[in-house]
Amino acid sequence: MPKLIPAGRDRQSFAGIREIINIFKRGDFATRSSFLIMGFGCIKRKQYIKGLLYLIIQVAFIAYMLGFANQYLSKLSTLGTEAMRREWSEARQIFVRTPGDNSMLILLFSVMSILLIIAFIFIWRANIRSCYKAQQYEKLGKPQPTFKAEIKTLLNERFHITMLTVPSLMIVAFTILPIIFMILIAFTNFDANHQPPGKLFTWVGFKNFTDVFWSDPLISNTFGKILGWTLIWAVFATFTNYFFGMILAIMINKKGVRLKKMWRTIFVITIAVPQFVSLMLMSQILHDQGPLNMLLQKWGFIESNIPFLTDITYARITVIIVNIWVGIPYTMLITSGILMNIPADLYESASIDGASPARMFFSITLPYMLFVTTPYLITSFVGNINNFNVIYLLTKGGPLVTDYYQAGKTDLLVTWLYKLTVDKQNYSLASTIGIFVFVICASLSLVVYNMSGSVKREEEFQ
Amino acid sequence: MKKLLSLMLVLGMLLSAGSALAETVALKVWGSQDDQAMLQEMVEAFKAANPDKEYDVSFGVVGEGDAKTKCLEDPEEAADVFAFANDQLYDLLNADALYEVTINKDAIVEANVPSAIEAASSDGHLYAYPITADNGYFLYYDKSVISEEQVKTLDGILEACSAADKKMFMDVSNGWYIASFFIGAGGELGLDENGKQTCDFNNEAGVAAGEAIKAFTAHDAFLTGDDSILTGGIGTTIAAGVSGTWNAEAIKEKLGENYAATKLPTFTCAGEQVQMASFAGFKLMGVNTMTEFPEEAMALADWLTNEENQLKRFQMRSIGPSNVKVIENEEVKADIALSALAEQSKYAVSQKDVLGNYWSPAEAFGTTMEAKDYSKDVKTLLDEMVAAITN
Repeated sequence: MPKLIPAGRDRQSFAGIREIINIFKRGDFATRSSFLIMGFGCIKRKQYIKGLLYLIIQVAFIAYMLGFANQYLSKLSTLGTEAMRREWSEARQIFVRTPGDNSMLILLFSVMSILLIIAFIFIWRANIRSCYKAQQYEKLGKPQPTFKAEIKTLLNERFHITMLTVPSLMIVAFTILPIIFMILIAFTNFDANHQPPGKLFTWVGFKNFTDVFWSDPLISNTFGKILGWTLIWAVFATFTNYFFGMILAIMINKKGVRLKKMWRTIFVITIAVPQFVSLMLMSQILHDQGPLNMLLQKWGFIESNIPFLTDITYARITVIIVNIWVGIPYTMLITSGILMNIPADLYESASIDGASPARMFFSITLPYMLFVTTPYLITSFVGNINNFNVIYLLTKGGPLVTDYYQAGKTDLLVTWLYKLTVDKQNYSLASTIGIFVFVICASLSLVVYNMSGSVKREEEFQ
Repeated sequence: MKKLLSLMLVLGMLLSAGSALAETVALKVWGSQDDQAMLQEMVEAFKAANPDKEYDVSFGVVGEGDAKTKCLEDPEEAADVFAFANDQLYDLLNADALYEVTINKDAIVEANVPSAIEAASSDGHLYAYPITADNGYFLYYDKSVISEEQVKTLDGILEACSAADKKMFMDVSNGWYIASFFIGAGGELGLDENGKQTCDFNNEAGVAAGEAIKAFTAHDAFLTGDDSILTGGIGTTIAAGVSGTWNAEAIKEKLGENYAATKLPTFTCAGEQVQMASFAGFKLMGVNTMTEFPEEAMALADWLTNEENQLKRFQMRSIGPSNVKVIENEEVKADIALSALAEQSKYAVSQKDVLGNYWSPAEAFGTTMEAKDYSKDVKTLLDEMVAAITN
């Protein structure tokens, strides 16, 4: 195992604070004043534009905190105390609504403000540093760098900052902020009965987590069983696609098979039809009263309808088989490329030694394949754990059963989560389940990836 | 800085002046896909009748069945006036999403049948405007296959169907239809003092009803599926089907002269004949609490559900009215499907006390029965179903 925390990391994290303390100790009046009035030191040393920018940022930040963030941050601990009020208005003959606290907005803007505070702390530190730098320049008698010169460095030695600022801001705004918000929802009682703006929701600690694990038998039972099926599904969906795709590729790639390109094209054509269209058609075709059943009956193969999607066992097998059908072309494409790359002399010497085709497959092809495609297998396994399309469009998670909480026998965690949010508005429970799905996916990927040959013996690959 | 500030000030002034000058009432209306053209006509008439204000009405396609879900996803973005099925009333009220009807209330109460008003009320307060009283189901049948005597009992219908090698259609894997057996046998869905769902479908009578469902779904002549199966097969492979007025046109066309409709039959429950019950559903028009223009939104909702427009709904879409005067209309009275519904309504119970948690578990029980999966006995399944409903 690689060391996760490099030695001395914790000392490093204090270095920032120590640096600030040192600056305060060694700083003169102007530098020390910059601790309170940002940019003061810079202005004093004639770096007017830079200093003013710092000052504007500080003023804007204070205005933002007092004028906007304050009303939300102050309610963060309760997520609001006053729900929407209604009062009878005799003149208008209606109940007039006065909006109360909106728990969702309180949570959202609080998270946003906290991120902004963190960003502000970094800017504050940069301000102290540059003021101190200006002080040192003065002490050494060096001319202060002009604003223009400093801007220029952004195109040269500090070019990475120029390049990465916008993407980083985007990631914070559109990825990190929503993720923190969603994770926090798992610790609230945000559900159909606590729906803003009409009603308030509040913190409930770990209640949702204990519900999922043990304290609510119906939910924990459903969670356990759906988790079990999700893993079975992910294993089958991943490996059936992988092996059948590989076998197909080997068959097409075999010496003596003619029209290789045509065969590949035929199998790849299924990709041309959008997956959800094929899936919805499949669900119609496999319906109890659907065309397939009707045809089979007409031709006399079966007496009564085959419940492809309504019987538990049939439905589970059906989704796996349909998934093979929609998934094989992709693995075929990936593996064909790798197959063509396996040195032909390996096979030649093996056949001279008298190895059977099966032996060659297990001793040459498969190890080579696994070596190269383990990362692909991991992503497709994780993808299958979250394979919403195939399940939802084929069976909608059904057949429903009475001992599950608002779920059916082919429901994956992710489709159950969808039903809980969209149909039942039970956001907090869904968020809790989402966190588990993430934990499962992340830990599986990390462990398998670090154990895989592609990582351990990377240098062996030629 | 100064420039920027003055620019912002000017902008702000323009904005506030703009909103003060043009008194445009912007309202959003949700209705089902099939209703769109009709709604637009009605709204145009509403605008013509209220020339004193400028109305800007936009439309969204959200069916009555999805209204609650869509509305609660983001109440602030939801429509000001929307149609919904009355079983969503409590869920909407729980989220405080419905404006109480206070303007013109007495006239509305007087104009509509009491059951519809009851379905739109909670604790004596009216929260929505009744649109229809036809959200229920009854039996369509083929006169040439099933006699008037046979159609009275489920056994008789199944017998007639078997004899003619045809099927009887009922979507048992659907909480709405399957309730017919349980409630017929005396089961009750209600609410406890905390507003949580109560359900006694697992008591003795419920288990007897469950056994009856088991026998029904195991019968050779039984057929399940969705509406398209019924409308596609009736007259050819299907001789009788349980459905509602929305399929009346399609079924009438298929059956032609043999078209008939009546109340649901009785079924054999613990050795006795018991009348199948049904849910009496109403479609209602609600006003969103988040609306900026409550008075205008209420006026529009009132308009969309008044006598004139209920008659129009019947004429354009064969939708059964809840307005007492429209019900007495000769045209409405002559409608076979609507009179069958009226007959069934004597055995119908309000769907109001049914919360969102009911549907999936009830469907699960129906699915298990249809799949003839008898690995657990009926009592166990019903216990599990009730546990999930009341969770």
